[in-house]
Amino acid sequence: MIPIELKAELQGRIAAAVTNREAAVDVMKALQAHYGWLTDEAVVEAAGLLGLSPLQVEELATFYEMIYRRPVGRQVIHVCDSISCWAMGGETLLSHIAALLGVGVGETTADGLFTLLPCCCLGNCGEAPTLMIGDTIFGGVSLEGAAELLDQQRNR
Amino acid sequence: MPKLIIDDITVEVAEGTTVLEAAQAVDIPIPHFCWHPALGKAGACRACAVKMLEGPVKGIQMSCMLPVQDGMVVSTTDPEAVAMRRHIIEWLMINHPHDCPVCDEGGECQLQDFTIAAGHGIRRYSGKKRTHVNQDLGPFIQHEMNRCIQCYRCVRYYQEYAGGTDFGVMGSAGRVYFGRFQDGELESPFSGNLVDICPTGVFTDKTARFRARYWDYEMAPSVCSGCSLGCNTTPVARYRELLKITARKNEAVNGWFICDRGRFSNSAVNDPQRPRTPLVDGRESTRDEALEALALRIAETEQLYGTGSIAIVGSSRLALEAALLLPQLAQLTSAGALCYFTSEEERATTTSHLGLLSGGTSASQQEIRESDCIVVSGCDPLQDAPMLALAVRQAWRDGATVYVVGDGIVLPCEFTAVAAVDAVPLAAAKKPVLICSASCNSDHPAGLLVQHSQLKLAVIFPAANSYGAAQLAGEQGGVSLERAVASGKIKGIISVEADIPAHLLAGIPFVAALDWRMTETVRAAQIFLPTTAWVEMDGTSINNEGRAQRFKKVMNPGLPIRGLDPAGHPPHLHRTVPPGGEAQPAWQTLALLIERVSGEPVTEPFSGRWERLRGLDAGSEGVMIHDL
Repeated sequence: MIPIELKAELQGRIAAAVTNREAAVDVMKALQAHYGWLTDEAVVEAAGLLGLSPLQVEELATFYEMIYRRPVGRQVIHVCDSISCWAMGGETLLSHIAALLGVGVGETTADGLFTLLPCCCLGNCGEAPTLMIGDTIFGGVSLEGAAELLDQQRNR
Repeated sequence: MPKLIIDDITVEVAEGTTVLEAAQAVDIPIPHFCWHPALGKAGACRACAVKMLEGPVKGIQMSCMLPVQDGMVVSTTDPEAVAMRRHIIEWLMINHPHDCPVCDEGGECQLQDFTIAAGHGIRRYSGKKRTHVNQDLGPFIQHEMNRCIQCYRCVRYYQEYAGGTDFGVMGSAGRVYFGRFQDGELESPFSGNLVDICPTGVFTDKTARFRARYWDYEMAPSVCSGCSLGCNTTPVARYRELLKITARKNEAVNGWFICDRGRFSNSAVNDPQRPRTPLVDGRESTRDEALEALALRIAETEQLYGTGSIAIVGSSRLALEAALLLPQLAQLTSAGALCYFTSEEERATTTSHLGLLSGGTSASQQEIRESDCIVVSGCDPLQDAPMLALAVRQAWRDGATVYVVGDGIVLPCEFTAVAAVDAVPLAAAKKPVLICSASCNSDHPAGLLVQHSQLKLAVIFPAANSYGAAQLAGEQGGVSLERAVASGKIKGIISVEADIPAHLLAGIPFVAALDWRMTETVRAAQIFLPTTAWVEMDGTSINNEGRAQRFKKVMNPGLPIRGLDPAGHPPHLHRTVPPGGEAQPAWQTLALLIERVSGEPVTEPFSGRWERLRGLDAGSEGVMIHDL
C-alpha cells in the first residue's frame, strides 16, 4: 500500500499528462523509489492509477532496464556495455567491479548495498567507459577510479 | 492501378497493395510470419525478403512493407533474396526447438513449412538455446514459449484486433515473452484465435492436443451453429470424434476469426449420452422398423382423433433441407399444424424482424466492420452473437462512432451511451448500422428504416437457422406449437430437432422425435430416430442476414472410439456401419417417411425457388436468399 500523499501526487501527475500511458514511467519510478523495487503489488497499484491492466504496466516495466522487477541493493550500478564503452574497456571495467564487489553480474552484494547490472548506452559515449550509480553518471572511469567510486559510495 | 513485374509475370493490382499481396495474387508464395491479412504489416520477421531489380526502390526489400508502384521489377528467386531468406530462417531457428515430432503443431506449422521451403535443413548452431517458463493460460490454450519466433502476431491480434488487455509482450531484445502478468485463463472471448494465428506451436488447442496429426484430420468447410451469425469454420475430426474447430475465412461474414464459444463447443457432438439408436416404445430397433411404426402411429392417431390431429414441428436449429420437407409431410399426414417455432413469442418476434430485412437492409459482418456509425440497441452482442462485437471493434478502430442504448452492455471498444436511438446522429452517417435482437420486441427499427434510407440492420436471431425457419413459417402459414396445442386438437407431435417444453408435451398421447441431442422431447417420445449433427452431414443454414451457406460433412456419425470399453473390442457383431452410426441427416429420414406414406421417392430437398441452392459451394461467400 502506498501512502495517501504519494497516491494523490501521482494522480495529479497522471491528470496533467495528455494520455495516462505517458505518465506510466513516472508512476513506476515513484513506486520503485517507495518500495525499493517495482513489486508485483506496485505493478497492480500502478495499473489502478493509470487505468491500464497490470499486464500493460508489466509490458512497460519489463521493457525499461532501470525499472527493477526484482529486489535490488540500496545502490544499483549500471555499467554500459554498448559499443563505445566496450571499445574503451567497458567489459574489463564491468568484470573488475564484479570482482571488487565479490558478486556476479546481475547480483546483489551480501550487505545489500550494491546491485551490479550491465546496461545499454547511457548517452555518455564521449566519456567512455561510463557507469551510473543510482542517478549519477560517471564518465571515463578507470579501474582505480572504479574502486574509489565504490569506497565513496560505501562511506556515504 | 500500378503495374509491376514479379518473377517475369506482369501483375496489376490496386493502389496500396503490398508486393507480398501482389505476388500472392498470381500464386507466387513468399514466406512470411509477421504479416497477416487481418493484421497487416509489422516488418518484424524479415522472412519475406525479395530483390527489387528495377523501379523506384532497388535491392533487398521486405515485400510485406513495400506498397506496389509502377515499374517495379521484383525477383523472389534472385540468389541474394534466396540467401537472405535462408539466413533469416536459420536465425529464427537458432532458439527454436528441433523437436517437431513431439510438437502438437507439427504438420500444420508455418515455421516448419517455410524452414523446409527455405532449404535450411541442417542446423549449424550447436550452442545453448534461450528457454522460457510457460504459463497456464486456462483450459483451452496451451502455452509453449520456447517455440516463439517473435513475429508479434499474437499480441497484435489480441490487443489491437480483439481489444484484450490481459495478454501482451513483455521484456525487450532477446528476452521478449508473450504471455500474461500472472498465470490464469485468458479473458478475451476471442482468445482461441491465437491458436490459428500463431505461425508455430506457441499456442495450441489444449482440448485436442496430441490427438491427431494434420494429415490424419478429417476436415471440411463448415458453418458454426452456435448462434445466428453463421461464421465459417473448419471442424477437425478423427476416429468419429470431433476434435476441434478452427476458423475459416469468409470476408463477408466472420473475416478470419471466430469466437471462443463457437470454437470450443464440440462436446455436444461427442456426448456419450447422445441418442444414436432408433427406438420404438423404448425398445431398440432398426431404422426401417421405427419408420414403419411411425407411419402406422400417424395413421392410428388420425383414425382415433380425426384429421388435423398431428403437428409437424421443426425448429430454428434445424437445417434448411429438412425444414423444406416439413410442409410436404404436413400435407401428406393432413397435419393440423406445421410449426417452425415452439413458442408463440419467438415466432412473432422472429417473423416481425424478418420483415425488416427484405430488400437488402441487412448488414453483413463486413458491412459492420466498414460502418462509420454503429448503434447497439437493446441487445448484448458479446452474449448473443460475439463476433458482432468483434466486428463493431474493427469499425471503431477505423474511426466509427459507437452508440449503445441499454444498460449493462460491455463491448470491446469505446462507446457512447445514449438513452434512445433518436439521440444518435444517424442522418449524418454515411454507412450507419443498427444492431438489435429479434428477442427484444420493438417496432422501432421499422420507423428508422423509413427515416434513414442508408441505415442497415444487423439482427441477432435466437438460433443458427432462425431466418430460414421464419422465412418458411411465413411462406407456409406455419403457426407456433404453443398456439396449435392450445387449440386442443393436437394429439400427435412429430418433432424434428425441436426443443419442446414438457408442458406442451404433457397432454399429447403420441410423440415422435428425430434429433441428435438428448432432449426432453426425445425422452418423451415413443418413437425416436437419430439424426446427424451438422458436422456429420451436408446441409444449409440461413444466417441472420439472410445468407444461405452450405456446410459439408466432416465425419461419419458413430460412437467416438475414445471412451469405448476396450473389452468390447474387436466388436463381436458383423456390421456395415460403426456402432452408433445409424444416424442420418434429418431430411433423409423425412424423405424416407414421405416415401413410405405417399409411395413417391424424394431425392432432392431443394425445389421451386430454392432450386438454386442445390449447387451452393461451401467455399463461397454464400447466397442471399432474397436474390433467389
